[in-house]
Amino acid sequence: MVARPASVDSPAALSADERQRYARHLSLAEIGESGQARLRAARVLVVGAGGLGCPAALYLAAAGVGTIGLVDFDRVEESNLQRQVLFTSEDVGELKAERACARLAALNPQVRAIAHPIELCAANVREIFAPYDLIVDGSDRIGTRYLVNDACVLFGKPLVSAAIHRFEGQAMSYVPGRGPCYRCLFPQIAEGTLPSCAQAGVLGVLPGVLGSLQATEAIKLLLDIGTPLLGRVLVYDGLSMRFDEFRIARRPECAVCGDQPSIHAPQDPPGFCTIEEQRRVPRILPAELAAALARAPTGLRLIDVREPDEFARAHLPGAINVPLPGIEQQGFSLSDEGLASGEDAPRGERAAHRLVFICRSGARSLRACALVRRTAGREVLQLEGGLLAWREAVDPTLAL
Amino acid sequence: MTEVHIASPLRDYTQGASTVRADGATLAQLLADLDRRYPGIRFRMIDEQQRIRPHIRIFVAAREARDLAQPVAAREPVHLLCALSGG
Repeated sequence: MVARPASVDSPAALSADERQRYARHLSLAEIGESGQARLRAARVLVVGAGGLGCPAALYLAAAGVGTIGLVDFDRVEESNLQRQVLFTSEDVGELKAERACARLAALNPQVRAIAHPIELCAANVREIFAPYDLIVDGSDRIGTRYLVNDACVLFGKPLVSAAIHRFEGQAMSYVPGRGPCYRCLFPQIAEGTLPSCAQAGVLGVLPGVLGSLQATEAIKLLLDIGTPLLGRVLVYDGLSMRFDEFRIARRPECAVCGDQPSIHAPQDPPGFCTIEEQRRVPRILPAELAAALARAPTGLRLIDVREPDEFARAHLPGAINVPLPGIEQQGFSLSDEGLASGEDAPRGERAAHRLVFICRSGARSLRACALVRRTAGREVLQLEGGLLAWREAVDPTLAL
Repeated sequence: MTEVHIASPLRDYTQGASTVRADGATLAQLLADLDRRYPGIRFRMIDEQQRIRPHIRIFVAAREARDLAQPVAAREPVHLLCALSGG
């Protein structure tokens, strides 16, 4: 059972409008008028307005969850529209959290939708989580997943989490004191160990299935009905169309919920950098980079931060491969330039190069630039729009 | 032969197959046979110290296996679970 605010335990009666809107819920013995009033008083925070967060938030709003917060610092991209069903083509370029909240308010004006267009981090997670009764995790970074899990354990918040990859999804719930947390399932994962949806691809409807499961779990936990996914991980395979369920136990040695925890406060993942740092990164457009390379090719050092398999498929001439996870974990040093390229130029000459960071769409190279500026103090440039933009503007034959 | 269900991120090693077969009386033997059939897949799950990697969970007949010496019966399916990060 989720600890609920007093307003949830002694709800006011529903209005005539609410009775009409939620008539199908009122017919369910498990919900009824008192359950619907509880949903109205509930406050749910959805982390990530992406593939999972969009359907989860849509169903929570439609179900009448009274307050829904959405945390996402990102902006809508064209490639999001294949699965992020809160957005339309007109939203491209707009802040996800704000557009998502506008859409939720249009769907159900009785819902209070609160946008948090900021990056969740150790410094703000307590304040952002504080007003909410339950957290739905739909983030797309493993570091954020651990931050959310640890914060839920430390601050006593129920959590419904899910993750996706190609045609497969996983979901589990956590309620403080009632079973294992996400770290009990997967104790530690280094950033970059797992491919993202951008790298691996994802069936557009897959997060619709998992996000809907998350909304179901959230409603069940808020109403204390049914059997939640506690101590179980649900695995869905869309290709074979099967659900499997596995029992998992709390690990006494778990770093955050175990008997002798070593994590006592939320932690930022290795290599964390703020959005403000990323905003300050100087950019270069593909056409500008092409012209600069034609003018003075030795003045620039192209650093491609994609994974080795992506680099092997196609890369710009002269680029060297230094994957982002390595920069996040170990930092970036001058030896990365020399070793990776086999170059034997004197150190001073290499240091004079301006580093241009490159990735597929621009997100990873932006993080790399911010980190290298901060930790190595180097002059950097980021190829805006990444190799996708390069292919568009300079070389349509680039086989990404 | 034991039926082995492959997690999505590991299917690059099995040419996309979600279910394969492998032989072995213990989990260690089964994973060794799996690696003979699909080279490289074992190292993605088991580290140099012969420990199951922290982003991998292995279930034998839906029960979690933490020890590679665990016996595996031919009729018990093995599920290889891998953490996913996409959202």
